[in-house]
Amino acid sequence: MLPLSSYFSLLYLAILLPGTVLAYTVLPQKYRRAVLLLSSYAVFWLVSGKLLCYLLFSTISVHHIGLWLENTQLEANRLLETAPKETRKDIRARTQQRRKKIVAFGIAVQFGILLALKYGAFFISNFNELADLMKVTVKLPVPSVILPIGISFYTMQAASYMLDVYRENIPADRNLMRLALYMSFFPQLMEGPICRYSETAQQLWDAPPMRWKNLMLGLQRILWGIMKKMVVADRLNLLITEAFDNYVHYDGFMIAAAVVCYTVQLYMDFSGTMDLVLGSGQIFGIKLPENFQRPFFSRTIQEFWRRWHITLGAWFRDYVFYPISLSAPIKKLPLLLQKRLGRTYGFIFSSIPALFCVWLCNGLWHGAGWNFIFFGMYHFALILVENIMEPPAVWLAKRLHINRDGILYRCMQIVRTAVLFCIGELFFRASSLKAGFAMFKKIFTDFTLARVKDNTFFSHGADKHDFLIVVVTLALILAVGCIQERGVSVRQWIEKRNLAVRLSLWYLLILFIVIFGAYGTGYIPVDPIYAGF
Amino acid sequence: MKQLIEILEDVNPGVDYNTCTDLVDGGYLNSLSILAIVAELEEAFDIVISTVEVTPKNFNSAQSLWEMVLRLKEE
Repeated sequence: MLPLSSYFSLLYLAILLPGTVLAYTVLPQKYRRAVLLLSSYAVFWLVSGKLLCYLLFSTISVHHIGLWLENTQLEANRLLETAPKETRKDIRARTQQRRKKIVAFGIAVQFGILLALKYGAFFISNFNELADLMKVTVKLPVPSVILPIGISFYTMQAASYMLDVYRENIPADRNLMRLALYMSFFPQLMEGPICRYSETAQQLWDAPPMRWKNLMLGLQRILWGIMKKMVVADRLNLLITEAFDNYVHYDGFMIAAAVVCYTVQLYMDFSGTMDLVLGSGQIFGIKLPENFQRPFFSRTIQEFWRRWHITLGAWFRDYVFYPISLSAPIKKLPLLLQKRLGRTYGFIFSSIPALFCVWLCNGLWHGAGWNFIFFGMYHFALILVENIMEPPAVWLAKRLHINRDGILYRCMQIVRTAVLFCIGELFFRASSLKAGFAMFKKIFTDFTLARVKDNTFFSHGADKHDFLIVVVTLALILAVGCIQERGVSVRQWIEKRNLAVRLSLWYLLILFIVIFGAYGTGYIPVDPIYAGF
Repeated sequence: MKQLIEILEDVNPGVDYNTCTDLVDGGYLNSLSILAIVAELEEAFDIVISTVEVTPKNFNSAQSLWEMVLRLKEE
């Protein structure tokens, strides 16, 4: 069996994707959806082998829960038609209770699997350490499990489907194959985006005919993604791995540089993958939701998270933040706190329980480790402080006649947000929380430019030539980002040019990747970072 | 409707609520302002707004919010 390691592998780009496109193009519409489903399961099989059974189980169980929820409601509706008026309220309440239990059971099953596979070892090893500390002679065996690829992503999709059926936002899908396709569509299987059933299921089922324009636009976006990944993310990999794995041997400057490089790498890897994923979808005429919206133009951490991994943030907002904030006990908080703290701070402080849960879940979603929990709590603290400081900042700016929308102030906010995010990434990438703190400390206590002065800085996996290529590519991406920030679609602009210009741009982009891509001897491509979550 | 617009202007000033139709999608309302609007609407109109109602469709304009309020009042 040929292993499939990432969407950037030749197996995907040269065999799986073109093969699926070919079969999709030549077969009639009723078989196209089967082509997509078969390719999706083939991708899953090539990455995770027999673990495909987890995806199949999730799909079948989620399908069943959806039908169970809907049938319970239909049964109640039938009863309500003939029931006397005084009993209707009781029937509604009982039905609601029953549906709540069904959806809770469905969610518990899906997240139970995720918890057991992804967090089992983490919880057990922490339990053992605690038992050790308390001098209790209990030692539970720590399981060693291999995760099915994309389990964190498809579990979120499964949960959103069940909750949306429960909330009656969508009807339950009686067609198992359509639901299976929604759960497993191969371009988004490994790293998202986390789609909602209402966004993608019907599109996939319709399996629109292949269009030349979609094919070209999709390929164009795939090439852009390959450029981000191969020219920037892979080029920085050796330096980052070296600095994070052996941080004890390096000074603060080297660590700070590695942290910035890692943040750049993560963005280029993940957003590059998203370009490839969305481009792959576009080839088939499927519009997947965007996951990035130029996050490094953000003025606050809150805004950053509205632009970075958008579908994950939206999931936590809709299925964690609002349900907790609007639950009966929390709902009373703003009015209680308003009396003591005033309206603005009443709302800010009453949002703490929901915000805390969101960021704890967000941290844990990224991985089973204390550094990930810290990463979540760090962002929770930043957002809370941002909310608390906003009213005095507005007041102070007014008093000092500072234009908060002026270019200088905006630039300062953008830089501050980027620096704060980089600090979070240090702990995110560190091998442990202890290592994260040690690295952070070194930035301030062992900062020296000696390695730059004697040029040894450029001998740890990335030389001056590498940095020049990275900087030029980032400048190009930044320029495109600036244009997009002004509301101009670069892709539409290219689309309107004549064939000669379009072909030249294609040729230049391919040439750029071939010449400046980091591949072959001396380079180790970065593993798909988000696929590991 | 007038009372609703007053609430919106009070909670989140600086937006033309008579014309804006992308309050959520356009980023004019953040999660905190949405929670504040929910609390104010519940108190002003004696309704209960559940999580299901907190969607961009209902919160994107003053008009859609007003329609939601009327529907919940009827229920």
